[in-house]
Amino acid sequence: MDEASDVMPTELPIERRQRHTRDRTTSLNSLSHFKSGPSKHIRGPSTLRNRDSNASMKSIGSETDYSEIIAPIPRRHLLQTSQSLHWLRVDTSQGDEWLNRGVSPVSASSVGSVFPNNRMANRLSFTALMDHERTAVGPSSTTDNRVLEDEGTVGAGRRFVRWMHRNNMKNWVIPSAIATSTLVKWCIGLGAYSGHDTPPMFGDYEAQRHWMELTVHLPVKEWYTYDLQYWGLDYPPLTAYVSWLCGRVGSLIESSWFTLQASRGIETGGSKLFMRATVLVLDLLIYIPALYTFVCSWQGTRSSRKRHAALLTLLFHPALLLIDFGHFQYNSVMLGLTLLAINAFAAGHDLLGAIFFVLSLGFKQMALYYAPAIGSYLIGKCIYLGPVQGTRLFLRLALTTTLAFVIMFAPFLPPFSPLSTIAAPITRIFPFGRGLFEDKVANFWCFTNVLVKWKRTFAGRKGFLIKASTGLTALGFLPAVVGLIFGGYKTRLQKDPKNDLVNVSPAMASAAPSSPTPILPLLPYALLTCSMSFFLFSFQVHEKTILVPLLPLTLLLSGAAPTDEVFLWGALGNNIGVFSMWPLLKKDGLGLQYLAMLFLWNRLIGHNPFKIRYGYFVELVSSVAHTAIIFLHLLELVVTPPARYPDLFPVLNVLICTPIFGLIWLWSIKRSAEVSWAMSGLPGKRDKEGPSSAASAISARSSSAAFGHSSIRGETGVRAASLGYASGRGHGQADARRRALVVSAGGDREH
Amino acid sequence: MSAVKQSHSLPADEQDDSQKHALKSTSPWTFSNFLGDVLSHSDIDILLFSTVFKFLLFPAYHSTDFEVHRNWLAITHSLPISQWYYDTTSEWTLDYPPFFAYFEKLMSIPASFIDPKIVDLQSLQYDAWTVIVYQRLTVIISELVLGAALLRFIRDSVDPSRQRILSASLFLHPGFLIIDHIHFQYNGFMFGILLWSILMAREGRKLASGILFAVLLNFKHIYMYLAPAYFVYLLRSYCMSPAGAIIPTRFISLANSVLLVFLASLGPFMLMGQLPQLLSRLFPFTRGLNHAYWAPNAWALVTAADRLLLQLVKHLDVGLAVNEPGVASTSRGLVGDTVFAVIPNIKPVHTFIVTIIFQMVYLIKLWRAPTYKSFVAALTLCGYASYMFGWHVHEKAVLLVLVPLTLMASENYAYYKTFVIASIAGIFSLFPLIFTPAETLLKVVYSLIWGGTLLYPLHKQLYEFPSSLSWVMLESFENAYLYGFALLQVVVTLFPLMTGGNPDTEFLPLMATSVYCAVGLLWSFIRLSTLYITQQY
Repeated sequence: MDEASDVMPTELPIERRQRHTRDRTTSLNSLSHFKSGPSKHIRGPSTLRNRDSNASMKSIGSETDYSEIIAPIPRRHLLQTSQSLHWLRVDTSQGDEWLNRGVSPVSASSVGSVFPNNRMANRLSFTALMDHERTAVGPSSTTDNRVLEDEGTVGAGRRFVRWMHRNNMKNWVIPSAIATSTLVKWCIGLGAYSGHDTPPMFGDYEAQRHWMELTVHLPVKEWYTYDLQYWGLDYPPLTAYVSWLCGRVGSLIESSWFTLQASRGIETGGSKLFMRATVLVLDLLIYIPALYTFVCSWQGTRSSRKRHAALLTLLFHPALLLIDFGHFQYNSVMLGLTLLAINAFAAGHDLLGAIFFVLSLGFKQMALYYAPAIGSYLIGKCIYLGPVQGTRLFLRLALTTTLAFVIMFAPFLPPFSPLSTIAAPITRIFPFGRGLFEDKVANFWCFTNVLVKWKRTFAGRKGFLIKASTGLTALGFLPAVVGLIFGGYKTRLQKDPKNDLVNVSPAMASAAPSSPTPILPLLPYALLTCSMSFFLFSFQVHEKTILVPLLPLTLLLSGAAPTDEVFLWGALGNNIGVFSMWPLLKKDGLGLQYLAMLFLWNRLIGHNPFKIRYGYFVELVSSVAHTAIIFLHLLELVVTPPARYPDLFPVLNVLICTPIFGLIWLWSIKRSAEVSWAMSGLPGKRDKEGPSSAASAISARSSSAAFGHSSIRGETGVRAASLGYASGRGHGQADARRRALVVSAGGDREH
Repeated sequence: MSAVKQSHSLPADEQDDSQKHALKSTSPWTFSNFLGDVLSHSDIDILLFSTVFKFLLFPAYHSTDFEVHRNWLAITHSLPISQWYYDTTSEWTLDYPPFFAYFEKLMSIPASFIDPKIVDLQSLQYDAWTVIVYQRLTVIISELVLGAALLRFIRDSVDPSRQRILSASLFLHPGFLIIDHIHFQYNGFMFGILLWSILMAREGRKLASGILFAVLLNFKHIYMYLAPAYFVYLLRSYCMSPAGAIIPTRFISLANSVLLVFLASLGPFMLMGQLPQLLSRLFPFTRGLNHAYWAPNAWALVTAADRLLLQLVKHLDVGLAVNEPGVASTSRGLVGDTVFAVIPNIKPVHTFIVTIIFQMVYLIKLWRAPTYKSFVAALTLCGYASYMFGWHVHEKAVLLVLVPLTLMASENYAYYKTFVIASIAGIFSLFPLIFTPAETLLKVVYSLIWGGTLLYPLHKQLYEFPSSLSWVMLESFENAYLYGFALLQVVVTLFPLMTGGNPDTEFLPLMATSVYCAVGLLWSFIRLSTLYITQQY
């Protein structure tokens, strides 16, 4: 025993030793090394590839097998000194945890020292040792993981990633994941699209194609005025420019796809192929890199396995895939640009982020749903930086944003065209002329319309409805805005006379604008709150718009462990989001793809909505909602709606979805409150804590400032490492404030 | 002891799964737990993902085989059994053996409830969404036979972790995806039976193996390519003692059961006196040496050589006699007899003799060493020889080679390399079956992912450094050949764009594909033959 621990320092490099000591304090892990260790280190290079754990069990278990140990020094394992062989009877209910972990390179010697070096260990049976260890560590971690593995909560995505990593194919995970998602997207695209074979107006597909047609053939001035009755252009200019580009490329290949007038409603195989390819290419150019940078920047501190699993979760996002590649739209471009903006913020490049967000707004006005959150984040950051730096940043941001908008609208502005031209795109982009809602949308207005007939009651007073919806929306996103700005104020950098850290490093002051703020973890929740509030309360919402709130929700989900509340809300929101678009998808003839994607994605992330495992409220909601969904689908198969209520099923759909979306909105507000509490303490308490927390933020930053571009990793790394590791386990964790910060900062619990 | 020894080489994945089997049995609560007894999580993943993916392929292109099978549903459902092999309402007459006809009859019963038009003999070219969903679903469901057999292969195999990869690679094989789920056939089901039969041979239940193979033969007679190996193996290792004495009881039981299977299949038609008609449907000897698109076998190389020689003769005026009809006979998508211009013509009997000679060599080896491994190798080689030298071989028949070859792939690096060359060439040779642009991207990307995630780990596990300079050379030639496929795909894709669809050169990409694949398949054939002949079993 003693000699075993002596060997350790010579055998292992320092980091490894540190890891061992860490392991020792953590959990039952050490027991896994216990079994798996010797095979790796004692048995020599011939078995290096052999990651088997039974092997060592065997060499320990049967005395006769000594000859098989081809080792420098065959050493008696700790447990072999035990008289009893009880431990060979591996308890099946507990053996799972160590099996599913990657085996860390630990030698038996280091593990041996975990156990108290006394005679008690010799006499204890294996299960008793396990209990001993478990009580020493605390009850949470082992049971948690066991449940996780046993119930199959670990998704197929994680299993795949684990398998790839174990087969030394770490570098292939991302390429193959992207290739597979591309394949799935393409296969969804084999099906029908919006408005397929439904003359004379067709659908969204024809709208997009028509825009390519008109932008290629008409001068810029006429883009927003040409034949508005037939799918007139009503997206911002960037869409028009992209359409022009696609139209040009398409015309090069086959000019008949985009001849003016004559090509209306064209549905040849070639043109469909081209249109599908444009979505795929734009997605590959913008959305996929955005996801990749998201995983790298926001989750930079997590292990590569978890990052890969998160990327898989995001790549197969069912709602987006169904709408973009099935129904046919270019939402991934808008969402990707917003995501790039968020990533730029996380990396501290605020100006770049602002430009990306302007581009996102310029591609599709739906990005406005994010605008309050983004705007108040930037204001919060200005406040955080203090009066001098903050004002400077504010001016820069204002200038950049204005310039970006001006450049984007330049063709519609003097000197390129008379000033009056600009009116056309603006009125087209913001259609207040339409009603409160058109089809059945799972938002507040449509939901309450069952009781209060809004349109009829306020038939003559449209202005009131507009005001009401605007007011409610603003009220809905107010918490997020306040949270961000107040958070910025709370954590603002102060020049403390006693603590002159700020003065000590002048280099840091200049580096300040390019490093992230402490309010960054609030941003995803703020985006969720804002966009969900817009979806629920604003004017003229389409069912497809649910994609906008689903993006931040899925981003949060991808960073959470399957046992976490965030994960469960995210999965619920996504499933309900897809379901809320069922009437649309059904009309498009995408029922099969709808089912396939739902199954695929839930299996991928390892989500079973019908299991109540941890006693969260969300699990109850989820199982009720999913049961209702299945019931509704079955009902729809069997029953044809009565003539009096032709919209029976869409209305029932709305009735199921709206409460869930409302709950997600409320939950998001609650979570942002928790996160901001974790960030800056309770309101009013801060005066005492102020200097120290500011100092810690600064010191964290100063350590990372040296890394320049990758500063975000350092920053969140410090935060997540200090908070995440210590508080990282057990869902029974009482300290909600730490938990919140850890999860949102991208570190999650170690499993 | 041996069990413990086996588990030595398992990577941790296997440990997970075997442990999970143990774990699952403690909580027989839900359906998923019930499944968990048989399937591990990763098995369910693979099953679910491939199924979902195949669902997404429902709207994809399907070939005339789709209509063929729909027509057979209609024939078996609406006509009495005596009419099955006489009906000519559609040009796609029933030309599979009776078990397959019974199978179609079985499937036509639910079809008639779902949509009566599916089984209407007159609704030719019917391709409503109902029939597409129904027929594609039958393929997916019947393919579960393959999945079950592959799962059984993992259990009790010498090296379960590698076998698991091999099983997954077969279940997700691009060949099955292209032929069954896009092009439309029931190969997954058939190969499931074949693998089940091979599995029985592995477990020493040779009578069951023989019966299953007889059943398979009565589903699709193309498996006759493999019959010689079965015959020799069962005769030598089941009906004879190791010393060489015949065991009469075994011989009689085997003969009787096989006869019984054939009786169940052909009996009704014999009673009706339709056997000659049936056989004429099954063996139409009126076709040419090559299929429309030359299957990449030895004859493709010969035909290509003939084309080349013809050009030489034309330009150089060597004075060789040119066969005039041969000049006109090209392969431009016409099903017809291939007539050579320069090289003497080849008759069915020639191909038959060449095939038999090759097969004899392997069978003699098998006779001397009737072990399971030897059997699988001989089986593969019999199929391979038939594929390489057979008369009017379809490119789809390459699966007959690839599937049993996969079972040997993890033996060592030499086998693995043979398998990789044959697989890549074979799969690439199936690409021309799917010529629509949307599915072109699909087949290429899918095959790449398949190769990257399933072949590559095997490569990492099995790779051995070449031992001498000549082996290094060989290895680099082989790798260069494999990389050449990327170039070939680019050329094949771009060629029609560059020539603008000129009908005179339209056949060139196909010819290039066929010849290039034939080189690899021939080389792989030589490799495998050498390995089999020289290796001790």
